[in-house]
Amino acid sequence: MAEVDATKIETSTGEVLTEGVPAVEASGARSLAEWLTLAISSLVLLLIVFLVLYDWQLGKNLPPAFQVEVSETSRLTADRYYVPFTLKNTGGRIARTVQVTAELTLPDGSDETGEQQFDFLSGNEQKQGGFVFDHDPQTGELVVRVASFGLP
Amino acid sequence: MWVAELRAILRGAAGSFLFGIPLLYTVEVWSIGSSTNPLRLLLVQAVTFFVVLLLTQIEGFRRSLSIEPLETVLESIEALGIGIICAAIALLLLRRITLETPLSEALGKLIFEGVPFSLGVTLARSTLERRRSDQRRTLSTDSALTVNLRKTMKNSIGSALGNTLIDIDATLIGAIVIAFSIAPTEEIAIIAAGMPPWWLLLVMSASLTISYIIVFASGFTDRTERTQRGLLLSPITETLLAYIVVLAASTLMLVFFQQLTGNDPWQEWLGDAIVLGLPASVGGAAGRILA
Repeated sequence: MAEVDATKIETSTGEVLTEGVPAVEASGARSLAEWLTLAISSLVLLLIVFLVLYDWQLGKNLPPAFQVEVSETSRLTADRYYVPFTLKNTGGRIARTVQVTAELTLPDGSDETGEQQFDFLSGNEQKQGGFVFDHDPQTGELVVRVASFGLP
Repeated sequence: MWVAELRAILRGAAGSFLFGIPLLYTVEVWSIGSSTNPLRLLLVQAVTFFVVLLLTQIEGFRRSLSIEPLETVLESIEALGIGIICAAIALLLLRRITLETPLSEALGKLIFEGVPFSLGVTLARSTLERRRSDQRRTLSTDSALTVNLRKTMKNSIGSALGNTLIDIDATLIGAIVIAFSIAPTEEIAIIAAGMPPWWLLLVMSASLTISYIIVFASGFTDRTERTQRGLLLSPITETLLAYIVVLAASTLMLVFFQQLTGNDPWQEWLGDAIVLGLPASVGGAAGRILA
């Protein structure tokens, strides 16, 4: 076994001597620098494992729940009203294909609707979007709600 | 001692980026990572550790040829650590993890992207170590170009120019090998659209730094030998020139796949080319040290 290793080292140093790069760095006992690398690597791994476990405990069995906040002020650009909103998953688990719908009922009885779908919404994640209306949302009654979602 | 260890780590990081970057530009990996439950994430991490452990027995980012059983375990831990740190840097750079990302999603992306990055650390030497020159393919019949090149190589300026051309050629080949499979995907547009304009500067500097590390700082090639050949005497100049070649190649690949057309605004051209330039410059750097 030792013999095989010795020949290996010899050929590879021989090979590399022509190119000038040492193929084998000093083997044997670990240097201080190598211990430092190990320590930092172990810390990183432990931190990851700890965070995963912590997150697991935190959001264990909380199903997705949603909170939609519609901004009071709408922006008027080129005769259209833009209403921004913020969607937040207040639960612990992830939800897929979250559908947000908006319904604007105007004083004359007519209404305008809009809908927006979000592919992924993790626990505690918050995402933003907007609805676009032809009429001023301030003049009518605007209802924005989450209509449906899927579980992964 | 410290320099040797830093080189070993940078070698691992270089392999990590080369191996991990194709999966970094995959939307499915982000969403799989985001939607996996914590217990399964730990399982994925454990399986990765096991695979890295097996690989470490025959490969590794350190240059020792024989290895103690305990040492394989320690080196595997280091490979995972380096891989995860590189994956974290890459995810932050491409804004797949930001301050707003919830913890569970960030951890999922990090652990899943960490798999190819950690494997890359272990495979660093076998993918990036230079082959012996007699194993390189050469043209059996001299074409007019090579004959002319050889004639001009007789004087030193001609030789420098020839070597520079070889370097550019190698950069192009490497860039195409890595980035050609990424160019037609929608990830480029998704990533570029998620970045504020000034963030592109970060991506550019990261591309330059990683390319510099692979070629000059990781000790895959001998620097004295490299500085002797080539018109590009200074490593910085060579890295910059290679990056320009890489950006041009990225743009051409995007145009080839009709990801960029004349109707797109120039901002999109710029953003997409820089975002694809990251994998392309990693490939280009690998191409240069293997050429």
